[in-house]
Amino acid sequence: MKNSVEFQHITKYFPGVRALDDISFTANGGEVLAFLGENGAGKSTLLKILNGDYQPSAGDYLLNGKHVHFQSPHEAIESGVSVIYQERQILVELSVAENIFLGRMPVNKFGVIDAGLANKKALEIINDFGLAGIISPIDKVKDLSIAHQQMIEIMKAYSRENLTCICFDEPTASLSDSDIDILFNIIKKLRDEGKVVIYVSHRMSEIKRIADRVAIFKDGKLVTILNASESNEQKMIKLMVGRDLGDVFANLDRNQHIGDVYFEVQGLYSDYVEPVSFKLRHGEVLGFSGLVGAGRTEIMRAIIGADKMLGGKILLDGREVCNTDPHEAILNGIVMVPEDRKFEGILSNLDVGNNITIGALDQNSNRIGVLDQKAETKMTDEGIKEFAIKTPDSKKLVVELSGGNQQKCVVARWMATKPKVLILDEPTKGIDVGAKSEFYNLICRFAKQGLGVILVSSELPEIIGLCDRIIVMKNKRISGIVERKDATEDRLLALAMADEKIN
Amino acid sequence: MENSKLRTIKLDGGKIILFLAIVGVTILFTILNPNYLSGTNMVNILVAASLAGLIAIGETYLIIAMQVDLSPGSLVAFSGVLGALLISHGMNFFLVVLVTIAVGALIGIFNAVMINKIDLQPFIATLVSQTIIRGFAYIMCGGKPVAINNTAYIQLGKARFLGLPLSVWIMLVMMLIFGFILSKTRFGRSIYAIGGNKTAARLAGMNPKRIIYLMFIIMGILSAIGGLVFSARMHSGQPAANVNLEFDAITGAVLGGVSFTGGVGDMGGVFLGIVLIQAFNTGLTMVNVPSFWQYVARGALLLLALSSDYIRKRNRERALLDAIKKATANT
Repeated sequence: MKNSVEFQHITKYFPGVRALDDISFTANGGEVLAFLGENGAGKSTLLKILNGDYQPSAGDYLLNGKHVHFQSPHEAIESGVSVIYQERQILVELSVAENIFLGRMPVNKFGVIDAGLANKKALEIINDFGLAGIISPIDKVKDLSIAHQQMIEIMKAYSRENLTCICFDEPTASLSDSDIDILFNIIKKLRDEGKVVIYVSHRMSEIKRIADRVAIFKDGKLVTILNASESNEQKMIKLMVGRDLGDVFANLDRNQHIGDVYFEVQGLYSDYVEPVSFKLRHGEVLGFSGLVGAGRTEIMRAIIGADKMLGGKILLDGREVCNTDPHEAILNGIVMVPEDRKFEGILSNLDVGNNITIGALDQNSNRIGVLDQKAETKMTDEGIKEFAIKTPDSKKLVVELSGGNQQKCVVARWMATKPKVLILDEPTKGIDVGAKSEFYNLICRFAKQGLGVILVSSELPEIIGLCDRIIVMKNKRISGIVERKDATEDRLLALAMADEKIN
Repeated sequence: MENSKLRTIKLDGGKIILFLAIVGVTILFTILNPNYLSGTNMVNILVAASLAGLIAIGETYLIIAMQVDLSPGSLVAFSGVLGALLISHGMNFFLVVLVTIAVGALIGIFNAVMINKIDLQPFIATLVSQTIIRGFAYIMCGGKPVAINNTAYIQLGKARFLGLPLSVWIMLVMMLIFGFILSKTRFGRSIYAIGGNKTAARLAGMNPKRIIYLMFIIMGILSAIGGLVFSARMHSGQPAANVNLEFDAITGAVLGGVSFTGGVGDMGGVFLGIVLIQAFNTGLTMVNVPSFWQYVARGALLLLALSSDYIRKRNRERALLDAIKKATANT
């Protein structure tokens, strides 16, 4: 029988977001189907549904034409679906054979493990993979190279007779070019044996090389499935990122009157970032661009005292401020909407009202700390109104709102403290397109009020469309400052990745 | 808004069920032993509840903030012995009270230091102090109860006001004060915030470490007060007393709607929870359930409390999921 994996109208909800929206596709044995999409497009969620880590909120999952409902990755593996993750999931202290047959080592008739037989069977697989003489069944896995460790994981999946579908999640992230060749040969072998191969990557060159068909995802939706041979890179990128945001940025009512410098960071450093210096003007939107891990968030954390500042100066209105913890930063008028809304932004056990007022407890309480409930209610009502937070009332738990509205609560929290500097770290991450443009308008509104806004974002169109100046970071340092008129995606990317291999 | 008034008295389904459970327990034990419903017995139940209630206040704060304290039983015994020793050495009564409370606060700080400075889990840290404090309670008095003869001290356990013993008044007043602090102050709000999510709370301007210090200091002070009152009632400081006291306190708090997943609960529910567990314990004794079986029954009650916590949590999650589906579909 021919192998196949079929998704029919699969939908997955998470608190505040619809991670997957009505996904339907069929992957057939004997082909490599690539999943392509930006971060957050839904690829990982889809893999986790494939391997039983998540259960779909709606829709059907068919394996070889039969409905399946995996409750755990273990069940999926037993049924012949394996996912090879970027992080190795092998036991490095055990031997190659032990890893391949983990949990089902061959035993003799007394139930004792038959190591000889295991090694023999492992050797057969190694030969199949063309790695005879390079890997031995009795090698300890920790002595192997990263690429070969990955091979062991693939062998583990391959050793199951019922293997139907094997998924690779960005498998080449840590592989050299020659290792990639080995991997691709094995993928081709698996394909030719009639397995369903799913290949997740955002490297175009690899997808062109290995994939037969390409499924393109965007914002949790399956945009289309193309034949790899008939499509080119530009077309795929356009489908992947193509949002109708051009107009949104063009029509923004941006602040035209930028004032004087009032906030200055001089030589600030922490355990996580090298010394950086920059200035911010009244009414200016200052962008921080760069790759993930370039140190942007770390600067902001040091500024507000979330990480310990080891040296340097922060000047606000000509006065030196020193934030030993975020509370002090709030008192000094420097506030941050953190990157990770779910774990750092919202307080998920509290209602909308308390989420808005929690940053202003000092403001709303008397000397002995008793809260003024009238002031709190007023602040809540104003916040909900001003930021058009969609909620039936202030007593609703914040996690019951959509992602965009949760984020608005966090913004409302900080604007209620009447800050002097507003730091937004990836404010539109994981929220839908409509809500994004609301945020862009908000940012412009804040700038018009004379507020200096620092915007950290990985989305280049957002940075270019909103910012007056853009600071680009690389390897925990500032690698360049670009004025609005000179800002292009190429320029920013070049500064972000200078001296590094660009894939 | 008018609903801020409604908020001051939270009468949710949980509290109504608790109240009905108390009524049910009362009816059941009254049928089994008509003396159960007597005024004396009702007061006895409140007296029995007063010590566990005092400790439950501290546990409520801690559990809401995702902490817990296993040492109060030991600390209550320790404080009773300390108070008895100090008064028998001729120290002024008020000074005895102050010193004992101060020592309780210091022991609270010790608990918090283990958690804040060496990053121990509260469960482990307070297990450590539970056994150390119990050890010192025995060491101080050589293992023998210390008799109390001072009349002022004895009055602490004997005095009555409007028909209720002082110990009951202390619990009620403390519950009101700490209930107010929990629901109406900056500090109280911070406790909920760090119980929901410590990282987010810190970024929102809370100081989780400081709050943990304060909560354990409060727990230490409440335990010291409990120890003084209990020793006064017993006319002696007893180093072996109050084993498993924290068990009753935690059971009461959880029955009262405080969730071990953090961030949920209020003092009104805890009061009902504590009354329920003491009504139950007293009833078991009055209908002559052998004391060994009482242990089993109490364990079963805690299991029931935890199951109801689980069911409440599951219902919250289900309601949440529906709400999310709606919210996401609308945007």
